[in-house]
Amino acid sequence: MDPEGLRVLAAGLAIGLGALGPGIGIGILGYGAMQALARNPEAKGAIQTNMILAIAFAEAIGIYVLIIAIILALL
Amino acid sequence: MSENKGRRIFGMPVPLFILAVLVVVLLIVGFLAGPIGSQIFQKLFNITLNFPDWLVVKEPEVHLPAPVLFHIGSLGITNTMLATWLTVIFLVVGSYLVTRRLEMVPGRMQAIVEFLFGWLYDFCKEVAGEENGRKFFPVIATIFLFVMFNGWLSLIPGFGPAIYAVVGGEHYELLRGANTDINTPLAIAIVSFLFVWGYGFRVFGFSFFKQYFNFGGIFRGLGQLFTGKLKSGLSTFFSGVVDAFVGMLELLSVFIRIVSFTFRLFGNMLAGEILILIAAFLIPFVLAIPFYGLELLVGFVQALIFGGLTLVFVTLAVTPHETGEV
Repeated sequence: MDPEGLRVLAAGLAIGLGALGPGIGIGILGYGAMQALARNPEAKGAIQTNMILAIAFAEAIGIYVLIIAIILALL
Repeated sequence: MSENKGRRIFGMPVPLFILAVLVVVLLIVGFLAGPIGSQIFQKLFNITLNFPDWLVVKEPEVHLPAPVLFHIGSLGITNTMLATWLTVIFLVVGSYLVTRRLEMVPGRMQAIVEFLFGWLYDFCKEVAGEENGRKFFPVIATIFLFVMFNGWLSLIPGFGPAIYAVVGGEHYELLRGANTDINTPLAIAIVSFLFVWGYGFRVFGFSFFKQYFNFGGIFRGLGQLFTGKLKSGLSTFFSGVVDAFVGMLELLSVFIRIVSFTFRLFGNMLAGEILILIAAFLIPFVLAIPFYGLELLVGFVQALIFGGLTLVFVTLAVTPHETGEV
């Protein structure tokens, strides 16, 4: 396999596999937040703030993978 | 009087209908002029459509390291640095203009700015407590406003390949979103790291750094071993080793935090810029519009995340540990 093809394949694999983790993680976070909101609708502000914070942490991992994919594909 | 509702065509008021027709026309023209439409027509029908030059978008080229435009002394000025200066000028002039005549019953501009600052201040107080929130608010608000306006100002039409400078024979764009250069997020991340450690040192003194070098347990365990208590000596020794290891991991995690802040902001902003460039390339006039909306949202959320995470870490750093061991 020539290096060019392998490079583009690596970029595709990176972003494909790398987006699995954050996707599932954010889904689980949303599930937990919905359950907490259903139990205690008064704590909406605190739940929302903490959910957004945790989602930003989980999403950052996906962004690392995106950077690698961009570098592989474009440079 | 239901007849006075204004004329309606197809159930929509006239201006909305004109807008819808315009969007559909632009969609068709853009689709044909862009690469998708022209390739389809060439491959299927063997017709080559020739559109005027200003209608065809060139393939976007993204320079990952920001290109140096000119030098002041020995410091190279890149186009993202120009964008940073533009943001600073915008913020300073904006705040001067808004606060020139403060009134008790605010006018519209002052009301908007008051709403924004009040919301940020409440956010700081909610996360950090009353008096700490007040102390941390200036730095957090600066980080938030700087990052957000870096992102939002990069959406106005002057940024990007429209205005370009010719340097050394190559066309470089004159202004580029400041957060798309890795140096800006790195600089802000280092500032927030120094802010967290500075406040930790100010509140706790040198013992703030003792949490990273937790060797007390090891020495106590060794001392107990030497005075003959074998079992308690061994258990204290091993828990001391674990504590020291955890301390080292905490120190490592502080530096990994800097990297994570940098790449989170850089990745989001770079991905947004590439997305808009490619959307403008594929279907020239229309496809970029929803991505502009997404970029507005992402700019706001990323600024909030950066400021909010800095706030959380500095609150953790000044909170005394309630457990028996510090």
